Amino acid sequence: MSDISMITFNNVEKYYGDFHALKKINLDIKKGEKVVLIGPSGSGKSTLIRTINGLEEINDGQLLVDGYDLASDKTDINKIRKNVGMVFQHFNLYDNKSTLENIMLAPRIVLKRPENENHKIAMELLDKVGLADKAANMPNELSGGQKQRVAIARSLAMQPKALLFDEPTSALDPEMIGDVLDVMKDIAQDSDMTMLVVTHEMNFAKQVSDRVIFMADGEVLEDSKTEEFFKNPKTKRAQQFLSQVEHH
Amino acid sequence: MITIAGLFTFDNFRYLFIGLMYTLSVSMISTIFSFIIGSIFGIIVYEKIPYFSKFVSISVDIIRNLPLLLIIFFVYFALPKIGIHFSIFWSSVVAFTFFEATMISEIVRSGINAVDIGQFEGARANGMNNIQTMIFVVLPQAYKKMIPPLVSQFISLVKDTSLATGIVLPELMYRGQIIYGQNSNYMVPVFVILAIIYFLVNFGLSRLSKIIERKMA
Ligand SMILES: Nc1ncnc2c1ncn2[C@@H]1O[C@H](COP(=O)(O)OP(=O)(O)O)[C@@H](O)[C@H]1O
Ligand SMILES: [Mg+2]
Repeated sequence: MSDISMITFNNVEKYYGDFHALKKINLDIKKGEKVVLIGPSGSGKSTLIRTINGLEEINDGQLLVDGYDLASDKTDINKIRKNVGMVFQHFNLYDNKSTLENIMLAPRIVLKRPENENHKIAMELLDKVGLADKAANMPNELSGGQKQRVAIARSLAMQPKALLFDEPTSALDPEMIGDVLDVMKDIAQDSDMTMLVVTHEMNFAKQVSDRVIFMADGEVLEDSKTEEFFKNPKTKRAQQFLSQVEHH
Repeated sequence: MITIAGLFTFDNFRYLFIGLMYTLSVSMISTIFSFIIGSIFGIIVYEKIPYFSKFVSISVDIIRNLPLLLIIFFVYFALPKIGIHFSIFWSSVVAFTFFEATMISEIVRSGINAVDIGQFEGARANGMNNIQTMIFVVLPQAYKKMIPPLVSQFISLVKDTSLATGIVLPELMYRGQIIYGQNSNYMVPVFVILAIIYFLVNFGLSRLSKIIERKMA
């Protein structure tokens, strides 16, 4: 972890029509930091994480990603997306492409990576997520857990500076969750990539993250070191939330 | 009944066959052009570009709601008055292309709409820009969904080419009229023959589209 900021929110506000989805968000995530974002359903976690790669626009305040101001007209959002990967709850693999092509497509057309190098990197990544034998399969021939591991490999192939995860295991059958979390743990341990993970997996949070952010009703209520958060949640909302998820 | 024997000559059938070739070539050329133009219109409308998309979508709506015969007459009779001349064949192609393009733009727009939003977001989050997302991820999936409506559009075009009789394009319908014009006893059998030809061509096309659909599923 370094002292340089990767993602900075300054008084960010986001509305859906009249609905106030993000309220005066202030956050600073350093390069290489592993952060877990938790909170009850509907608290704005997805909204927050999706503003970082511009899938949602902010209405007020300032959002800096890798030094670029997302609200500025001068910022090319595609440049930021090149450097910030995202893994979705429902995978969003390209249904018309094989596993291997899912991984190779963006590096080929966005990064212009030479074909043999592209192929080599893609196969290494598939191997890393344990799916080298599924290179030729189409997404609809994979299980949910396999799809998510391909989706992670696809994000990694862009060699991003930051990787966002929005509930990557929430749509999976329980027996598939472990494999995906293992892949994520490996990434967290091996790389200096910034990671921001929305999850309900508290054990993963405890093992992997440097820091936990707790949100409720569109606000950041807590932002503390992981150990401190789990030992000593400051707000009533966080205490309630923890007792609920830990009794599951 | 004896009086219709003269209808079934080689020359008459060759004459109709050439008419069918006109029908099919006008249909095919118009379909190719209208597929390209319709796709561009559909994408423009889908992308909601300020003013421009609105302009295209209003134009599309206007043309879609005009009688096709009016468009054909407009291209052939009215455009020359402002200095734009097309032959009968190309007038037909231009008129059908514009009319079909408006239909196809609707098919393309709703085909794109039918692609899951997650496909767009996956591609955008993966670093692709709008155009790359469309070309490599969304359109291939949208066109697959669009095969059945596109084929039925082509079938209506094959039928609608008969309207070009109005500007004496020598297509199938026109040639049928010429034949029964020579002998009114031929009228009923000629209509039956025309009906059979149209049916066989269009039924064949719709079967073909079912096969393609099944192959691609
Ligand atoms: N596109 C949208 N339009 C309107 N409201 C939305 C939209 N997306 C999310 N919301 C609302 O914003 C709130 C936060 O949603 P979300 O960020 O998805 O929460 P979380 O991911 O924490 O469950 C919810 O009340 C949700 O209904
Ligand atoms: Mg969510």
